[in-house]
Amino acid sequence: MARKFRITNNIRKLRFFANEMTQQELAEKAGVSRQTIIAIEAGKYSPSLELAFRIADAFGVKISEAFDYEIKTEEAGKKE
Amino acid sequence: MSYQEKKTIVSILTGILLLAAYCIYTFSRIQSSMASLEDVKFWATAMLMFIGIGIVASIIIQIVFHILLSIAIAIKKQVQNGKCDDTEIERAIELEMVEDEMVKLIELKSMRISFAVAGAGFVAALISLVMGCPPALMLNIVFGSFCIGSLIEGITQLYFYKKGVKNGKEV
Repeated sequence: MARKFRITNNIRKLRFFANEMTQQELAEKAGVSRQTIIAIEAGKYSPSLELAFRIADAFGVKISEAFDYEIKTEEAGKKE
Repeated sequence: MSYQEKKTIVSILTGILLLAAYCIYTFSRIQSSMASLEDVKFWATAMLMFIGIGIVASIIIQIVFHILLSIAIAIKKQVQNGKCDDTEIERAIELEMVEDEMVKLIELKSMRISFAVAGAGFVAALISLVMGCPPALMLNIVFGSFCIGSLIEGITQLYFYKKGVKNGKEV
């Protein structure tokens, strides 16, 4: 049975709790472009482990608070 | 539109212009009977010439593009903040032109497609020789496949910038 991993994130929520930090400010802190932050936030790009740590570090939280993952089975299409 | 998208559009336009210039140059030569499909030396010379022109034109166009983009960023900063110093403008330009891991991944993925197109073109060129077509046609197929591969690379990059790029794994 094929299983699909999907990386999810709480970046929008974390930005809100960080005094509505802008995407540009987060991009500067993580050392990437604003375009990349937009793509990650929208779930269009899964960052490398290093970048994921840098983003979590920018908010001062653990990586598991910033990123999570879902496993979807192809048959049921439900979360495990 | 991001800096990367603008840069890719400039590259695509440069590629289209060069390909058009090559087609106009060679067709005009054929029409004036100054060249033929049997004259391999003419085609090789024309291709070498346009490869050289292409490299120089790409460098010049990219330099001009970066100058214009820097000016645009500086003007935008001045308008937004009223007055800002050179270091602030330089920092804004640096931030705009960041090349991060997503950009590199998109470049790698699109380059793979470009190589596939060029490879398919090379095979098609060899097949044309086997079928008894003139060698000049083979040269043109190879040259054309590299040009089209480069254009497809740019279009693929634009697609990935818009739609995103995934590393989804199935286990």
